[in-house]
Amino acid sequence: MINRKLAKVLSFRYKILAVIFLVLAGGLVVLPKYEKQEGILPEALLKNAVSSERYISTDELADLIINQDPSFILIDVREEESYKKFSLPNSINIPLDKLLSEDSNSYLNQDQFDVILFSNDHFYADQAWLICNRLDYNHIRVLKGGLNAWFNTIINPEKPSENQSVIASELYSFRKAASMYFGVAYPDEFKAKPVVKIIPKKKVIPKKKKKKMPVEGGC
Amino acid sequence: MKELEKTKRISIAAVLFILIIIIGLLFYERPKHVYTVNSNDMLEKVIKADYFIALDKIDDPSIVLIDIRSPFEFEKGHLNGAINISTPELLKGDNPELFNKMVANKKVAVLYGSTPTEANNAFMVLYQLGFENIKILLVSLGYEQNKLITKNSIIEKNVTDINAFIAESQKKIKIVPKPKKRIPKKVIPKKKKKKMPVEGGC
Repeated sequence: MINRKLAKVLSFRYKILAVIFLVLAGGLVVLPKYEKQEGILPEALLKNAVSSERYISTDELADLIINQDPSFILIDVREEESYKKFSLPNSINIPLDKLLSEDSNSYLNQDQFDVILFSNDHFYADQAWLICNRLDYNHIRVLKGGLNAWFNTIINPEKPSENQSVIASELYSFRKAASMYFGVAYPDEFKAKPVVKIIPKKKVIPKKKKKKMPVEGGC
Repeated sequence: MKELEKTKRISIAAVLFILIIIIGLLFYERPKHVYTVNSNDMLEKVIKADYFIALDKIDDPSIVLIDIRSPFEFEKGHLNGAINISTPELLKGDNPELFNKMVANKKVAVLYGSTPTEANNAFMVLYQLGFENIKILLVSLGYEQNKLITKNSIIEKNVTDINAFIAESQKKIKIVPKPKKRIPKKVIPKKKKKKMPVEGGC
C-alpha cells in the first residue's frame, strides 16, 4: 500500500520535472535572436567611430611608399572601373560589395600587415572601416581625404606664399619631391629624359641635406 | 528501499539543476543596446546608398533634424529646428528613448555634421541598432563672419584625372628644352634667401 502511494507521488513529481524541462527547452529556442549580436559591443563601436586614430594623412602615406615600407597593404574600395583608371601604386581592389567575401577576408582579417583603406574621399573607406571594426579586425586604417587629398597635397602640392613659415616650405619641398617620385615632371627640374626616373629618388635626399645645412650654419 | 534512494537522489539533483538555472536567469542582465542588423545586411544597405537626402527637401514636417557635432559647434551655428545630439552621447542618457519615440511617431531622423562623412559614423551605429528611419543630409557647413554657410555636398566625387595630370606635365617637358639649363641654379638660392632671416633671429 505504502509503495503504491509513494509511487503515485513520485510519478507526479516526475511529471512536474518533465514539464519544467520542456519549458526550459522552449526558452532555448528563443535564444537564436541573439545571433545578430556578432562583433563588438555597440558602445565600443561608437567609441572607436568617434576617435580619429584610424586616419593616416597623405604625407605619411607618401613617406611609407617612398621608403618602400613593407608592412602595409593598400586597399582601394571603389568599383573596378575607377581602380583600373587610376589607383595608388601596389594597391589591391576590393569593391565595397566584396568586402565580406572569403577572398577579402584573408586580406582584412590578419595581424601581419597594416591595412590602409582608401577611396575618392574618405566616405566609403570610413563605411568599410566601420563594418570591419564591428567584426573586430585589427590594424585597419583610413586614408584621410582619399585620392582627392592625394592629388591636392602630393601630386599637385600648393606652393606656399613667401610669408609662410619654414615648416610650410619644407613640407612643400617634401611634397614636390614626392610628386616627382610618382611621375609628375617639372620643366625647371628636368635634365634628360632617361634619367628622369632615377633623379627624383636622388633628389629626395640631397634636397633635404641642402635645406638643413644653411640652418646649422646660422646657429 | 535502494530504488527509492536512487529516485530520491535523481529528483534532488534535478531540483538543484533547475534552481541553478533559475538563479542564472535572475542574474542575467540584458545588454543595454542590442544589434538588430548583422554585418552583411549593413554592407548591403551601405551599397544601396538610398539613405541620402538633399538640402532642399528638409522642409517636410515628418523630418527631425539632428546635429551630431559637439555642443560648442552647435552653439556657433546650426540649421533651423535642429536638435543637438553629439555622436559620443548617442547611446547615453535619454537619447535612445528619443530615437524610440521618433520611431513610434513615424518621423524620419536626418543626421548632419560639418560634412556627410562626420554624420556617417552616427548613421551606421544607429542603423545597426535597429533605427531604420534615418538618413544623412548632403550638406557641408562652413562659417564666414560667424554666420553658418551651407553648401550642397556630393560625396565621393573624383576631383581630377591624375593620370591625365601626370601625362600633361610630362608633355610640357618636351616643349621647353633650353631654359632648363639656367633655371636649376635659381631654385636653390631662392630657398637660402627664405631661411637666412630666420637664422638672423638665432
